[in-house]
Amino acid sequence: MNLREIATKCSKCGYCMTCPTYRIEGWETVSPRGKIQLALKYLNGDIEIDQKVAKDIFKCSVCGLCQEVCPVGIPLIDFWEELRRELVQKGMAPLSVHRKLREITFRNYNPYSGDQERRGEWADFEIKPAKTLYFAGCTASFRLQNLAKSTASALNKLGIDFTIAGKNEYCCGSPFLRTGQKDIVEKLFEKNFRYWQRAGIERIITSCPGCYRTLSLDYPKIAEEKGYEFDIEVIHTVTILDKFGVFEKADIAAKATYHDPCHLGRHMGMYEEPRNIIKKLGIDFVEMERNREQALCCGAGGGLRSQFPEISFEIGRQRVLEAMETGAKYLITCCPFCEYHLSKSAEKLGNKIKVVDLVEIAEKLISP
Amino acid sequence: MELSHSIKRVDTHPLQRVLYSQDLLKIPKFLERFVKHPICVVQPESDEEVRAVLKISRKYGIPVVPRGAATSAYGGAVTIKPCIVVDFTRMRKIEIAGKKAVVESGAVWLDVEKELNRHGLALRVYPSSAPAGTVGGWIAQGGYGIGSLKYGGIGKNIEWLEVADFDGIKKVGGDELKNYVGLFGTTGLILRACLKLRDNVRIDSVAIKTDFAKSIDLLDGAYHGVFVNRELAKMLGFNEADLLLLSYEGEAEKEGDKELGSRMWENRFNLFRAGREREVVFTEAILPYETAPDFLSTVDIPVEAVFTKDNVVFLGFIPVGNYYRAALKAIKFIKIAEKFGGRTYATGMLFPHKGLADYAGSYKKAIDPDSLLNPGKAVEGNSFSRMIKLAEMIV
Repeated sequence: MNLREIATKCSKCGYCMTCPTYRIEGWETVSPRGKIQLALKYLNGDIEIDQKVAKDIFKCSVCGLCQEVCPVGIPLIDFWEELRRELVQKGMAPLSVHRKLREITFRNYNPYSGDQERRGEWADFEIKPAKTLYFAGCTASFRLQNLAKSTASALNKLGIDFTIAGKNEYCCGSPFLRTGQKDIVEKLFEKNFRYWQRAGIERIITSCPGCYRTLSLDYPKIAEEKGYEFDIEVIHTVTILDKFGVFEKADIAAKATYHDPCHLGRHMGMYEEPRNIIKKLGIDFVEMERNREQALCCGAGGGLRSQFPEISFEIGRQRVLEAMETGAKYLITCCPFCEYHLSKSAEKLGNKIKVVDLVEIAEKLISP
Repeated sequence: MELSHSIKRVDTHPLQRVLYSQDLLKIPKFLERFVKHPICVVQPESDEEVRAVLKISRKYGIPVVPRGAATSAYGGAVTIKPCIVVDFTRMRKIEIAGKKAVVESGAVWLDVEKELNRHGLALRVYPSSAPAGTVGGWIAQGGYGIGSLKYGGIGKNIEWLEVADFDGIKKVGGDELKNYVGLFGTTGLILRACLKLRDNVRIDSVAIKTDFAKSIDLLDGAYHGVFVNRELAKMLGFNEADLLLLSYEGEAEKEGDKELGSRMWENRFNLFRAGREREVVFTEAILPYETAPDFLSTVDIPVEAVFTKDNVVFLGFIPVGNYYRAALKAIKFIKIAEKFGGRTYATGMLFPHKGLADYAGSYKKAIDPDSLLNPGKAVEGNSFSRMIKLAEMIV
């Protein structure tokens, strides 16, 4: 990617100032437009970027809303990731917490300091070899194990023959790709990919949109760079549930709304599958004002939550308030990271809305 | 130092100052030396903070440059003297009372529209840059937009303005508005506007394949009318044909392609898409209805014509091969318009010499004798406008 060529395309129209981080921070150095202009000047050799501005460049959840609204079609998600990589190469990043997470992941193969040997402990069933792998991801393995259990149960109920990698599952590297630290991702890729090859994996199902994006979009590129053939189909759980799920009607009298995870929606274009499942479950459903392509981010992604928790939680607060405005009692999502962050945000607002994962609801209602 | 005691949000970071020295206008490298970085950027959150900035401005003789979203291409927010940039984007409150809305300067037009829609109301007019453009920014530039066919320019849709100058804050309305609308903040900083509204009646649109001259005969009864020539229609991803979009408050009164009409209406903010494949330079001119068809027949670039209550606003898109050649072509577009009795769309930093705001010269002197309010814009010349004057001679 030629950053300079891409930055030159910016018309400075300011439509990207709908950016949730800019709306909170308010300074041009945090706006996508401002960052593009600074990147252009930096790449032209007109300015030097200092630590303050490098930090501002990382004040972004890489949610992709800027790319969605950009009328000249600048591929901004890739642009931010590449720009961050450039800052890492020049020694201005990773920022302190991102560096710490990298160190933890180098040691533990996950950013939660979880014991890798116990990664698969959530599995309460016998693990047999199969060509389909359920890749739980770090959050479901170490923080939201119910999601991992529900997903496995759903796959079982649907008669899908699958296995899990347990201690041979490593962080996919998503948090590091989004924060410009590609070297560690290459290492994680090697660990995961070699195991998948050894185990003869042909298909991966994941319940985490971050993993889904990384395994289906980024891994094939890394494989190509390394001269490997990446011939593995990657699927998100909602696709399976939408395609094969037959459900009993949910016994939920209260209204529910749905939060589009950025990695599933804007990054991967998957908007209808979760809604189809919600419809099949017979849930009294109401959309938030900003939905699908225009959805507000939960605020957790792109390294924002770890490095800039105040901004991240302010975005989370805004999203929960938007959900509450619909009158819904349940906020459904299908991303463990969104669920985790929105739950914490809802907690700060007095738990007036319950954040739930779609897979967890759907699994209970799969018709035998 | 004194500023940071009086106002909460101040930034003096060198790169922040670089960003706040520019707006949508693309300034060629050799002219960048005429741009002076501001001393600092302030983001007032209240009238008191604006007052405090103006007090310091007068005390030390430092100019102030008001700024909204900086989405105008006339250089109104470009800083050409060391100054304080007053960024109004943190003043964005919207208050609705009856059929009027009092809106702070930094509110984004589309946010205002969405808020009004919740109350069954809608803006009469708004700019095609509504997703980013601010209320104060568009009023300061003046001009026409969506809805101007029925309701006229922005100036006709303001009940009153509250403005700040060195004497304090005042409310202006009626004939006095002309001393603020379109003057780029050179006579006072716009704090808030009371906007005239309409009921939020559903907009129904049709697209009609027709030429420009015939379009003029079809405008009766429409809320919004735009002609797009075939070159631009192609760039925007519509049919490759001369197209007229007619939008009505309520049921469409003319026969036409509803699907395409609805698509064109939905894309009314997406003119920048014309620059998707190739960079474009924008140029604008206003013409009387009588000569507009003859003007258009002399123009060979992608063009949109917005029909208004008073006249026709032409927006030309010049694909950039060589930037300087494109810029000269943009100037030529305006020169041709002038031959047909037209004029440039706005003044800003680029066209103060066109005399559009000359009527306000003495008012400016009385209000701002030291020329501290956005100096070198609208009513005063500057290095850029002198260069353009020279270029006009070449053209």
